[in-house]
Amino acid sequence: MNTNESLVLNKIDDISFQFLETPTITNPNDVIVQVKKTGICGSDIHFYAHGGFGYFRLNKPMVLGHESSGVVVEVGNEVKSLKVGDKVAIEPGVPSRFSDAYKSGHYNLCPHMVFAATPNLDINGPSAPGTLCKYFKSPEDFLVKLPDHLSLELGALVEPLSVGVHACKIGSVKFGDIVVVFGAGPVGLLAASTAKKFGATKVMVVDVVESKLEMALRLNMATHVFNSKNGTLDEMIKELGQRPNVVLECSGAEVCIQSGVHVLAPGGRFIQVGNTTGPASFPITEFATKELTLFGSFRYGFDDYKTGVALLDANYKDGEDKAGINYLGLITHRFKFKDAIEAYDLVRAGKSVKCIIDGPE
Amino acid sequence: MVANPSLVLNKIDDISFETYEAPEITESTDVIVEVKKTGICGSDIHYYAHGKIGHFVLTKPMVLGHESSGIVTQVGKGVTSLKVGDKVAIEPGIPSRFSDAYKSGHYNLCPHMSFAATPNSTEGEPNPPGTLCKYFKSPEDFLVKLPDHVSLELGAMVEPLTVGVHASRLGSVKFGDIVAVFGAGPVGLLTAAVAKSFGAAAVIVIDIFDNKLQMAKDIGAATHTFNSKTGGDYKALIAAFDGQEPNVVLECTGAEPCINTGVNILAQGGRFVQVGNAPGPVKFPITEFATKELTLFGSFRYGYGDYKTAVSILDANYKNGKDKAPIDFEALITHRFDFKDAIKAYDLVRAGSGAVKCIISGPE
Repeated sequence: MNTNESLVLNKIDDISFQFLETPTITNPNDVIVQVKKTGICGSDIHFYAHGGFGYFRLNKPMVLGHESSGVVVEVGNEVKSLKVGDKVAIEPGVPSRFSDAYKSGHYNLCPHMVFAATPNLDINGPSAPGTLCKYFKSPEDFLVKLPDHLSLELGALVEPLSVGVHACKIGSVKFGDIVVVFGAGPVGLLAASTAKKFGATKVMVVDVVESKLEMALRLNMATHVFNSKNGTLDEMIKELGQRPNVVLECSGAEVCIQSGVHVLAPGGRFIQVGNTTGPASFPITEFATKELTLFGSFRYGFDDYKTGVALLDANYKDGEDKAGINYLGLITHRFKFKDAIEAYDLVRAGKSVKCIIDGPE
Repeated sequence: MVANPSLVLNKIDDISFETYEAPEITESTDVIVEVKKTGICGSDIHYYAHGKIGHFVLTKPMVLGHESSGIVTQVGKGVTSLKVGDKVAIEPGIPSRFSDAYKSGHYNLCPHMSFAATPNSTEGEPNPPGTLCKYFKSPEDFLVKLPDHVSLELGAMVEPLTVGVHASRLGSVKFGDIVAVFGAGPVGLLTAAVAKSFGAAAVIVIDIFDNKLQMAKDIGAATHTFNSKTGGDYKALIAAFDGQEPNVVLECTGAEPCINTGVNILAQGGRFVQVGNAPGPVKFPITEFATKELTLFGSFRYGYGDYKTAVSILDANYKNGKDKAPIDFEALITHRFDFKDAIKAYDLVRAGSGAVKCIISGPE
């Protein structure tokens, strides 16, 4: 029955509202969620403006959105950990339960991954539906219950936060680390916050836009900031007081990738999170002489979503006023579902940090 | 004064024989070794032809050589594990005992490393002496005793073999791994041999010269080979590897196309160890790298435990005699020279005349 009001990207520059089929419980561990809050991601904008990136090309209309939270409205009869009315964060990528990647503990690398709002690599296959709709179906284990004191808006931040969590886990960020994060967009700021929460002694955020650096400090997501447009790498190290032993590269910019290699202490760890538009010129001999390690990071995997929710839980347990980090401060714009296209145009014009769209009424 | 005949690189294109003063025991843990066999390394040739590598610049005469073995002739009072007459492999880089790098278990990264035949351009400070001389001094713990059945020539191969050991350990090469090695020069061949010794189920060696690939197979280091000039693209490489995507790449060329191919052939979650030196930055497919969640390890020389492991590999390889040795390490030695012909040896290797490993005997 086509009662599921959805935001659909038909082709480049063409978004419309459509009523699509409402999902129903088909497996005993299915859960139907009424989507309440959705953040807009840069990848959505890539599809809107360019029709895709890398291997992913839009070839048929696709429901947008993958950074969502909602309220459970129906559960399958084997669902044990959730009940109707629970607030949940939605993990939007469901892998094959039979793949080697899944079995070996790396489900994010599953070649049969069905990821919301991402075109099927097989052009004849259906596009995985996004979450910018009224009702979304997930298996129970790809939803994380939000504690009462966490809002649905925070629930919508769990997805980009989990990208930062995954990166920090892959790079073994821990107590005492000295971290530099390149890129002060939402991913960089959430990765920096995670590094802080994981116990890093210093977390420096680097960008070329002063207002982004100011936000990093104001929200308490960084201990140091540096504008790489105005200063040299030696000045960066001096500002930090020492060389970092961890770099979280969240910009995808070639110059930042090179800078990360240059500033790292010998034996240091470099985690690549940001996507480049093509190959990057990489100082590999300096990398080898310092015996650095480069970890590629892709989305998030087992337990990362739970960790993301746990971080928010601990952060807000004594209320917003006493919260160590102001995650909510990332949300700069809020729109009703009927104004969703305006929201996309605003983000496309580069005028927001994190923009949240309400679910349909 | 005991004479120490030495082979000295004075400046670019200028090598001569000089006689210096032999080193003496000064610390209780010092050992004096009479150098018997020395291999020539590509870095020596680089200093000979270009006078510098990166920020290491030759500014004063320097004794060449760092891939050596010899016989103990003198030991300090505190030496307990070696005696006069023992055959040893010489580990040519001595770090500061006080640096953070040394303390933290990464002495190869010590900023005060004194590495034989690597120039020190600080004015007033001497170049660390190389091993192409008669007598060389080492602390006891930077010498590894060679078992009786491992020859001095094999002892001279321990140094480049150890580069392969260090890389393989960094990349956690172990039983069952599917390994691709780029480069069939001495470092690539020895690294492939280490991967096999560590239990890799399959090792494919890639190069652009068929004769080098043949050697890789003949010595028992490779189960498969691929000529990347004539064989096709990375998909053809996988086909030549019986359709297997490796889970480890050991990159021993420093060549940009090899580095890119290495990223393309690796299975998801795979490990990439960079051993070879690239002359400058390389175009690197970092998003493909990140999407597959690969890990890249930079590898530099060798560190704690690597030299001992290399000698153990040779020990195990030759314990039932040469005929039953799984890997024919000795076949890598293609040329042998007496000390008096050392300059000819350097010119031969510099000319790139098909020498794989050239060994120079110590002075009589």
